Amino acid sequence: MSKKLSRRDFLKLSCAAAAAGMVLVGCGPASRYVTRVPYAEMPEYQHIGKSTYYATTCRECPAGCGLIVRTFEGRAIKVEGNPNHPVNRGKICPRGLTSVQGVYNLDRITGPVMQGRRGKAGGQAISWDEAVALVKKRFQETKGSEIAFLLGAMPDSLYDLTSELASALKAPAPVRYSALNYLEGRDVWLAVASQYFGTPSFPYFDLENAEIVFNFGAEFLENWLSPMAYSRGYRGFRKGQLGARGYMVSFAPRQSISAAAADEWIPIKPGSEALVALALTRLAAYARSEFSPEITRQVDIKAAAEASGISEEKLKELASRFAGSNRPLAIGGGSALAGKSAFETASAILALNATVYNFNQTGGVFLTPAKAPSERFADVQALFEKMRSGAVKTLFIHGVNPLFDLPAALNAAEAFKRVETIVSFSSFPDETALASDYILPDHTMLEGWGYQTVLAGTTRKIVSAIQPVVVPLYDTRSTADVLIAAGGLPYKDEVDFLQQKILPLMSAGGTFTAPELPSFWAKFLQYGGWWQKSADYAAIDADALLKSSISMPEPHPAPADQYHLVVYPTQFGDGSGANRPWLHETPNPATTVMWNSWVEIHPQTAKKLGIHDDDVVRIRSEFGEIEAVAYLYPALRPDTVALPFGLGHEALGRFAEGRGCNPARLFPNASSQNGNLAWADTLVSLSPTGKRRPIARQESRHGVYGDGE
Amino acid sequence: MSEKVEAKKWGMVVDLDLCTGCQACVTACAMENNIPYTGEDETAYGRGLHWIRIQRYWKGEYPEVSPTHQPVMCQQCGHAPCEPVCPVYASVHSEEEQINVQVYNRCVGTRYCANNCPYISRTFNWFDYPHPVPESYSLNPDVTVRRRGVMEKCTFCVQRIRHAVDTAQAEGREIEDGEVMTACQQACPTGAIIFGDLSKKESAVSQAARSQRSFRLLEELGTEPKVVYLKGGGNYGG
Repeated sequence: MSKKLSRRDFLKLSCAAAAAGMVLVGCGPASRYVTRVPYAEMPEYQHIGKSTYYATTCRECPAGCGLIVRTFEGRAIKVEGNPNHPVNRGKICPRGLTSVQGVYNLDRITGPVMQGRRGKAGGQAISWDEAVALVKKRFQETKGSEIAFLLGAMPDSLYDLTSELASALKAPAPVRYSALNYLEGRDVWLAVASQYFGTPSFPYFDLENAEIVFNFGAEFLENWLSPMAYSRGYRGFRKGQLGARGYMVSFAPRQSISAAAADEWIPIKPGSEALVALALTRLAAYARSEFSPEITRQVDIKAAAEASGISEEKLKELASRFAGSNRPLAIGGGSALAGKSAFETASAILALNATVYNFNQTGGVFLTPAKAPSERFADVQALFEKMRSGAVKTLFIHGVNPLFDLPAALNAAEAFKRVETIVSFSSFPDETALASDYILPDHTMLEGWGYQTVLAGTTRKIVSAIQPVVVPLYDTRSTADVLIAAGGLPYKDEVDFLQQKILPLMSAGGTFTAPELPSFWAKFLQYGGWWQKSADYAAIDADALLKSSISMPEPHPAPADQYHLVVYPTQFGDGSGANRPWLHETPNPATTVMWNSWVEIHPQTAKKLGIHDDDVVRIRSEFGEIEAVAYLYPALRPDTVALPFGLGHEALGRFAEGRGCNPARLFPNASSQNGNLAWADTLVSLSPTGKRRPIARQESRHGVYGDGE
Repeated sequence: MSEKVEAKKWGMVVDLDLCTGCQACVTACAMENNIPYTGEDETAYGRGLHWIRIQRYWKGEYPEVSPTHQPVMCQQCGHAPCEPVCPVYASVHSEEEQINVQVYNRCVGTRYCANNCPYISRTFNWFDYPHPVPESYSLNPDVTVRRRGVMEKCTFCVQRIRHAVDTAQAEGREIEDGEVMTACQQACPTGAIIFGDLSKKESAVSQAARSQRSFRLLEELGTEPKVVYLKGGGNYGG
């Protein structure tokens, strides 16, 4: 071509040529594949736009870690830790990371529903106006005392709002719990702190600066009080910022990831933790040439050695090592704080700390400067008793799944039948939502507003901000807005409520402030929350603790054909994570099992019972039975079996339903004197069922699906 | 290109004394790199697509038993055994980043590279794994979604490297130490993973790599891995 072709002409020509081509091939097979692709779907290597990052707060567990969420074209892409947030300093756990799979879950409830029949999925869609009118009607027509609120893992702002609403309606205060409370001993620490320090606050254990740590069952790297804060603490402990590399001794019947991270693992007999802690307290006082404190008067070292299976010499050696250290620290949680004598065990662990004078000291024990709402299991029991007696007409449920995570022995489903109207605010079709009359779905974590009061893992006051990072995907509505509209509370909407609540923080001496509310609010959202510049804790005094006398827990050895039970939470948290595919695909840290649950049995025990890897085993307690696939776990006492918590759902969508087993079926409906659920004393028996069910594990392919040996 | 881009020697250090085996890196990697989940059956067959895995081995006998944890991802070998065996040059070395890259649209799925990788760090897409709406909304636009028949592996989050290099270049400055964070490093709750430029002596990763505790996986093979491990937690190398 001699003439120089302009770009415009070239395009014209090529369009004409393309059109001619299309006409020519007309009816041929190729024409079917000629489609016009809008530029919205660009070739994969090309994309326009810029990522926007929003600070918010994780609601997956009660810890309240700060998040930075990367969004792109209005979609949440990736959840990252907020590097400035004092709780997690930019770090994040698998549960937080997969929260985008919560927002974009395939099994969300897409709008308000009136359930046709309880227990069945589906029903009739209603409008939000109808939904709000309905809630309003229930508020007006039900007597205050016959309304109940059952709450769980939800923003603290919503808890505060519901409490206000309950008192306005003259209804009983909301009852709040989460499975993590009774699996990790959270409620026990609150009871102990109220008793001895007069405040229901969590102790903060300064792991970071400790030199020797005695850990009684706390799974601080997994789900305990504030896993990211304590993981950072573990780093500091290992790095030995103030001196030598730390030395950790773990007392636990089963080796969790946290127990495995210790330098020494002592497979203590379940139920003897309190005796050992008291014996160590007494021996540590001796080692320091001091009088043994009052609290240890009743303990007999020999009896403690016998009950725990730890020799007297070993106890003495450990105690003198503890007493001789510059910064010793004792912590506890997990199954150690979940039995009938959980309160005594926690008191004994605190006494061990007090005897080396580490309260309010670097590397010691502090009190977190935030009052935690009550999480007592006894309150939950009382509420269900009330339902059973027919004294609850309307029940509102948010953020918790009692049909899944409460002991089956409590028979929550039966109690539900006596309630006239149940309204669930669940975003997902879980067991409890399906058993409700109405589901009024709340936004998920990345779509809603709120704040989280940080209760553990810090010595500062922290109020962490929750803001929507994407617009709601479906026709959901903030529960706070529903309650404000229906309950006639004096707030314009949720944001108005939040702004009024954070107003006092403007003059409370945080890292930032502003002359007026809009600027303060903007900064509050931008930084991901408000926190103090430095530690601000109330000093705690060990006197009351050391002078108290606690009843000696009686060890309960398992009879020959029965086994102690350890149940521990995994990456699925309280079980609500079971609908996230990537939490399933993430191998369990200890067993590397994916997509299923299992029962851990010591190889010796398994041999005795004729159980092999991947055999289906029936586990029976006095209160119920379940079937699980056997996993021969070498780091477990032979008289103990362990079960992961979180799977075994009957609902909650395609990824959760019918997968794994639910250990809550084995639990008793028993609370201790101090109100915690006493499940750790449960004894179980094992029997092979003759069935086999290979489970997916990453560690080895041998034996799976018949390959290899 | 007229302007010469200075080659970096990107490398990683994993402190095994700090690694607790918590698996946060595994999930973080999947969320960043659009790694599909494969489901129970496929993971049981060993076809999970984890780009990074925690090797958990038991040591000792009860009661002196304890697990060791070691995160293993593509070691980004200097002399990579996967490269010379690829018939279509899909497994190649990048000049600029000095890492081993996988070109998805060249890959024809011979799987020779995976056979030749001594670290078993390559995973193969046996199927097209669906990304249904709205689950697909969280796909990272910076990372290619792979199809059936394609080999894949850790890229050292090359999209983050590119982003940081481009930003630094546009602002006319040197890239700073710590500016590029891989997804696993960013999530790691104990800060066991350090990433950076090994060619700069003062970078955090270089300093850590010079530790007396350092070792490389299967060093004797002469693959010159760019991932350095620090002994600890029951892992003593060799």
